[in-house]
Amino acid sequence: MTSNRHKVLWQLLLAFILLTVAAGMWGATKRIDYTWRWERVPQYFLYLGEELHKAPFDGRVTAVAPRGKKASVQVSDETGEVFAVEIDAPSLAVAVGDELFEGDLLGSTSSWKAGPLARGLWTTIWISFLSGIFGLLLGLVTGLCRIAKNPALRGLAVLYVEVVRGTPLLVQIFIFYFFVGTVLNLDRIVAGVAALAIFAGAYVAEIVRAGIQSIPRGQMEAARSLGMSVPQAMIHIILPQAFKRTLPPLAGQFISLIKDSSLVSIIAITDLTKAGREVIGSSFATFEIWFVVAALYLMVTSVLSQAVFWMERRLAVSD
Amino acid sequence: MIDVRNLEKIFRGRGETVRAVDDVSTAVARGEVVVVIGPSGSGKSTFLRCLNGLESFDRGHVVIDGMDLADRRVDINRVRREVGMVFQQFNLFPHKTVLENITLAQMVVRGRKPAEAVEKGRKLLKKVGISQKEGEYPNRLSGGQQQRVAIARALAMDPKIMLFDEPTSALDPEMVGEVLEVMKQLAREGMTMVVVTHEMGFAREVADRVLFMDAGKLVEEGTPEQIFSDPKEERTRLFLSQVL
Repeated sequence: MTSNRHKVLWQLLLAFILLTVAAGMWGATKRIDYTWRWERVPQYFLYLGEELHKAPFDGRVTAVAPRGKKASVQVSDETGEVFAVEIDAPSLAVAVGDELFEGDLLGSTSSWKAGPLARGLWTTIWISFLSGIFGLLLGLVTGLCRIAKNPALRGLAVLYVEVVRGTPLLVQIFIFYFFVGTVLNLDRIVAGVAALAIFAGAYVAEIVRAGIQSIPRGQMEAARSLGMSVPQAMIHIILPQAFKRTLPPLAGQFISLIKDSSLVSIIAITDLTKAGREVIGSSFATFEIWFVVAALYLMVTSVLSQAVFWMERRLAVSD
Repeated sequence: MIDVRNLEKIFRGRGETVRAVDDVSTAVARGEVVVVIGPSGSGKSTFLRCLNGLESFDRGHVVIDGMDLADRRVDINRVRREVGMVFQQFNLFPHKTVLENITLAQMVVRGRKPAEAVEKGRKLLKKVGISQKEGEYPNRLSGGQQQRVAIARALAMDPKIMLFDEPTSALDPEMVGEVLEVMKQLAREGMTMVVVTHEMGFAREVADRVLFMDAGKLVEEGTPEQIFSDPKEERTRLFLSQVL
């Protein structure tokens, strides 16, 4: 009972702190005389795009048939060539019998289109996904090399991990874009994904190594004593157990990867961050857009951590 | 069945080297039950682990069913198929159910069909007396049950030899009996067994021969009657006076 009362008190305090922060931010923006224009934001997600339809040649309008909200227009010239197009009825600009020159407006159609923020979000998601997959594979192989008996494999793995972990991602992206990209003639997207994958791979390798080494030696010994080869024991015994243990740190790594992917905007890949910068250029709603961009990143990372949480619970049956 | 000649295993640590197994020679015949006793750190576990190549050795020969482990051309995995091993810590696979623990290696190593492996697994679970637990994960089982599953897992490979590395040392006292009972049954069926244990009662009752090891050396070997009632060596006498 008392502990319940205390809980409510603390929750009230939490609400008070959050409200204070919110009020402080509101007050601060008042002082700098910033006008919030949230209404400008939605159009950068989804907008009604208008497409103009023009006469492709000189001729005459031979038929206009209204069909509900649409209207179909037919244009013919002297040689008998016919051009037909469907347009929105209210935008109809011609009538039957009109003489037209090439390029004259017939009408327009409009449809919903994804705005730059939605496209940027999508780019961020698939760039992160792709580099995550490659990073995972790279990290798995490197992690296995890291614990291999062969000194050459081990040396390579250590070198890779140390070099990547010891240099900033931003610099790596530049090197990939300007040096590796030029030498191998890579597309900017390929360079960006490769840089992210190699960066993530080094961290994944350490997670994989730690995960494998956390499995008691007896597991490998039991598997080997049953006549399994090292790869068989790895596949059936060690890696499944290690995977379960490495799931939380791996999830953390992939969440970092999604956030780090914002750095590829520096090599002109239009991801969410770059899209945000571009949108600010046309909307001047600087504060709103950055908050929205942050919220979108938060949305993607929370979906990922929820998914991992769900997987962990499913895998926990044997604990 | 097992022929060990001048086996030597040296652990090299920082600045110090330990002769864990020091010039041990012995042989185990088909169907023989050999129990290895000795104080902790006497090298008896290391000796046992050399018999299926879990531990590499520095000198000497271990010949299992005609295959010499010192010979680089011998495929160690082929040897291990013939030699089952039971560990002190059970080492069951925690992410597999009891039945899966027993069927996995049959399928992966012996190439048996799932149905065949399951049938064999169920038969062995019945033999060790835990049929009703086949769908459980190992952590839901008591130590004694886990160890019996581990024995069934090793037996599923149809080994010619079974090695036991202190199989009852990690068990609560009330569970020791059930595991020893399974081992006695195996011995009666004529399995060739090498058992490292502190269970002197088991040694006296089941062993055909007892080896006493101390400081890596095979000090004395003989029948249980001879070792327990009339040891020749002073060190054996001292050890037995402490444990009996």
